[in-house]
Amino acid sequence: MALLSVKNLTIGYKTKKGLLKAVDNISFDLEKGSPLGFVGESGCGKTTIGMALMGLLPENAVILDGSIQFQGEDLVLLKEKQWRRVRGAKIAMIFQAAMNALNPVHRVEDQIKEAIITHQPDMSSADLTARLQELFSLVDIPVQRMKDYPHEYSGGMKQRVIIAMALACDPDLIIADEPTTALDVIVQDQILQEIRKVQQKTRTGLIFISHDIAVVASVCDRICVMYAGQLVETGTKKEVFTSPRHPYTRSLLGSYLSLDNLNDIVIPDMQESPDLLSDIGSCRFADNCKVCSGVCRKEAPDWIDISGTHKAFCCEPQIIRGSHGKT
Amino acid sequence: MGKPDKKTSPLVEMKGVSKTYFPRKQLFARHQNTVLALNGIDLCIETGEIFGLVGQSGSGKTTTGRLLLRLEQPTAGEILFNKVPVRGLKGRALKEFRSRVQMIFQDPYQSLNSHLSIAETVMEPLVVQKIGTPESRSKKVIHTLETVGLSPGKSFYNRYPHQLSGGQRQRVAIARAIVVEPEFIVADEPTSMLDATIAIQLFKLLMDIKATFGMTFLFITHNLAAARYLCDRIAVINEGHIVEVNTAENIIRHPEHPYTKKLIQVQPGFKFSR
Amino acid sequence: MLNKYSLQRFYKGWQIFIKNPLGKTGVIILVVFMFMAIASFFVPLIGPMYDPMTGIDPDIRVSTGPSLTHWLGTDNVGRDLLAQLLEGAKVAFIVGLSAAFFSIVIGTLVGMVAGYTGGLFDAFLMRTADIIMVLPSLVILLILASLFGQFNIWIIVFIIAIMRWPAVSRVIRSQTLSLKHRPFIEASRVAGASHLRIIFRHIMPNVLPLAFLYMTFRVTAAILVEAALSFLGFGDPSQVSWGMMLQWVWKSGHMFQAPYWLIPPGVCISLLTLAFYMLGRAMDEVLDPRLRKEGQS
Repeated sequence: MALLSVKNLTIGYKTKKGLLKAVDNISFDLEKGSPLGFVGESGCGKTTIGMALMGLLPENAVILDGSIQFQGEDLVLLKEKQWRRVRGAKIAMIFQAAMNALNPVHRVEDQIKEAIITHQPDMSSADLTARLQELFSLVDIPVQRMKDYPHEYSGGMKQRVIIAMALACDPDLIIADEPTTALDVIVQDQILQEIRKVQQKTRTGLIFISHDIAVVASVCDRICVMYAGQLVETGTKKEVFTSPRHPYTRSLLGSYLSLDNLNDIVIPDMQESPDLLSDIGSCRFADNCKVCSGVCRKEAPDWIDISGTHKAFCCEPQIIRGSHGKT
Repeated sequence: MGKPDKKTSPLVEMKGVSKTYFPRKQLFARHQNTVLALNGIDLCIETGEIFGLVGQSGSGKTTTGRLLLRLEQPTAGEILFNKVPVRGLKGRALKEFRSRVQMIFQDPYQSLNSHLSIAETVMEPLVVQKIGTPESRSKKVIHTLETVGLSPGKSFYNRYPHQLSGGQRQRVAIARAIVVEPEFIVADEPTSMLDATIAIQLFKLLMDIKATFGMTFLFITHNLAAARYLCDRIAVINEGHIVEVNTAENIIRHPEHPYTKKLIQVQPGFKFSR
Repeated sequence: MLNKYSLQRFYKGWQIFIKNPLGKTGVIILVVFMFMAIASFFVPLIGPMYDPMTGIDPDIRVSTGPSLTHWLGTDNVGRDLLAQLLEGAKVAFIVGLSAAFFSIVIGTLVGMVAGYTGGLFDAFLMRTADIIMVLPSLVILLILASLFGQFNIWIIVFIIAIMRWPAVSRVIRSQTLSLKHRPFIEASRVAGASHLRIIFRHIMPNVLPLAFLYMTFRVTAAILVEAALSFLGFGDPSQVSWGMMLQWVWKSGHMFQAPYWLIPPGVCISLLTLAFYMLGRAMDEVLDPRLRKEGQS
C-alpha cells in the first residue's frame, strides 16, 4: 500500500489574465522507503505540488481536480484547521534557504522544542530534552551547540537544524523543496549525505524536488520529470537517466554539464516554458519538440509504457519506444 | 601551471591584488568587521582565451570581476590591461578603457533598466562612446540583437524588459556588452539564474561570439563543470586566494590543490555511463 | 524613431491611467474643479455684483441663503458665495500646484545628488535638510507673517516650497541609494556613462514615480497650509480663497448660523486634496511599467 497516492491532480492559479494551469493531471505513488524525485525547470509545477502536499497553496490557487490519498484521507478536501493536525506532525517540509526561517533572537533548541510542543503539548520536559538530543545526533550537530543562537551556526549547520525541525515530530512524509540550492557545493554534498542517511535510518517517505538532476539522482530511487505542469516521464533513476525516452528528458539531460560527460552535451533549441494559460489539452512540449510530427498538436498525449516501471507521456509511441538515438 | 606565451603579452594581469572592505564604523561594536575579500592574488589572462574563475560564494570571484572593470579600486596591488595600469586611468583614457572592457551581469531581472526599451539599453554604450550616427546606431543595434539570437531584431527593438523571459533578457545583456566590440568581457555568473536548457544555449552563444569576434573572456562561476565546458584555462579561488591555475583539462584530470580535489569530489553526479 | 515612440508611450500611459478606478475618480473630481477655476474668470463678467472680492449686491446687507440670484447665497457684506468658491478653486490650484512643484523639483534634485554622490557633500545636504525639516513650517510662517504683515500669495507659495523640500529629498535620496548599486546602473558605468547621464537617464525615471507621488501629497499639504494660514488671518487679504472664506465666516460670527457659507469651502478643500491623492496612486501604475496590471503594455 503506497504511503501517498496522487491521482489526476490539477491545480490552477487565478490571475488577472485568466486561469493559469500550473499542474495538469498529475498522478504518482510514493512508497515508504523509496525516495521520489521531482525534476524540472522553472514553471514546471514541481513547487506547486510540494505546496499542495503541505496545504500551503496561496490564496489564488485552486485545486481543479484530483485527489491526494494519504493515510486514509484525501488531503485535497482538508480545511485549514484539519491541516494543522497534519502539517509538521505527519508531513513536514524542508525548503530552500530555510536557514533564513530561523528566528535570530531565539536559541536553536527553543525553536525545535516549539516545533515539537505544537503537536505534542503534553510531552514532559525530560522527554523533550531526550528527543532533542536524539534529533541533534541524527543530523550530526554536537549536543553542546544546542543552546546557541542561529547566527553562531554556519549555513550548513542551519540547514541541518531545519532538517532536524522537520523530523522533530517523526513525520511519515518529508518534502524537500530545493533544500540545497542556496548552499555552497561542498556544504550541499554534506546536506545531501545527511538527507540520505536520515531517510535510510528513519525510513520516512521522501519527496525531493529540484531543478538539478544530479542532486535528485544522488538521493532518490525513482524520478518524475515535469514540464510546464505536466508529468512527462517517470521511472527508476537508472531508467530515466541512462535511457531517457521523452524528448524533453533528453533535452534536459543533454543540457546537463557534469565533469565527465563533455561528449554527451546536446544543445537543445528550446524557448522558455510556454504560456500556461492556454488550455492546450495536447502536449505542452510540442512547440519545442524537434521530433514531433505535429499530430500532438491536435491529439492528447497518453502514457506509453517502456517497461514495468518506466513510462513516458507522448502522442507517438514510436518516438518513445523507437531508437536510442539522440534527439 | 599554464605559462604565458612569451610571444604575446597577457591582455589582463593582476599582480598582488588585495581588496579589503571597511564597513561603516559602528559606535558600539566590539570590533570592526573588515572583510578581506581578496588577499594578494595574481592572475594572467591571455588574449583570445576564455578564462574561468571558479569559486563558491564569498570566495572573492565577483570582487575580482569588479576590480577588473574598475567598478572598484584594489586596496593593494596592480591591475594591468594591455600593459597599462588600470588604477590611474582618468577622463578620456578611462572612457576609452570602458569601450574595450565590458561586463555581463548575473541577474537578468536587475541588469536592464526597466524604464528603457531594449533598443535604448543596447544603444547606450554606442551613445556614451559617441560611436556612429543615430541611424547607424539603430542598424548596429538591430544587427547585434540578431547576433545574440533575438530575431527578428526589429521586433525586439521597441519591447521592454518585462516583456521578455529571463533567457531573452540575458541575451539583451550580452548584446549590450558586445555592441561596442570590446576586447575583453567579464561574464559574472551569466547563467546561474537560468534553467539548464536555456543556460547551455547561452554558453553556445558565448562560444560563437568568441569565435566570431575573437574576444577574450573571464567567466566567473561557482560551477566547475560549466567552467570546464566553456573555458580554456581555469583558476580556482577560495577565501580570497587563488588556489590553483591550470588548463581546464588538467584541473579536472590532475588537480593538485586539496581544495580543488574536494570541489571535484563533491560535484553531484550520476555515475552511470550513457 | 525616438519621437514617435515617446508619443506612443504617453498615449499608452494615459490609457492605463484612465482605466485605474482611482485615476478615473481623481481625474473626474479634478476636472470639475478645473472647470470651477476656469469659470472664475468669467463669472465677474456677468456683472460687477459677482466679483468675489468687491462685488456687493446693493440689495443685500446681510448674509443670505441660496436664492435665484445667488446660487449659494451671500456673505455678510453681500458678496456672492459661489463666485468666491470658484475663485477659491483657482487659488487652490495655483498655490497647490506651484508650491508642490517647486518643492518636488528642489527635493528631487537634492535627493538624487546627495544619494549618488555620498560622502561629505551628501552629509552636508542632509544636515541642511534635517535643520529645515525640524522647523515647524506653520509656526515659522505665522511668525514671519506677524513680523512682516500679511503676505502676497506668491511669497506663501515660495515659503511652503522652501520648507517642504527636505521630506521629499530624504525619500528620493534613500531610493537613489538603493538604485546606485543595482546592476543596470553599474552596467551604465561600465559602458562609460558620465555621472550626470546616470543620474538623469537612469536614476531619475526610477525615482520619478515616487517624486510624483510625493508631489500629490505636497499639493494637498500646500493647499491645507494656505487654507490654514488664511483661516487664521495671515493669508493674502486681497485674495479670496477657501481658507479666507472660512476665516470670514468665523470672524463675522456666522459659523453656526450660515451652513451654506461654512460647508462649501470645507467640502471643497477635502475633495480637492482627495482627488490629488487618488491621482498620485494612479500615476504610480503608469510610471512604473512593472506595476502595470498584466494584459497591458
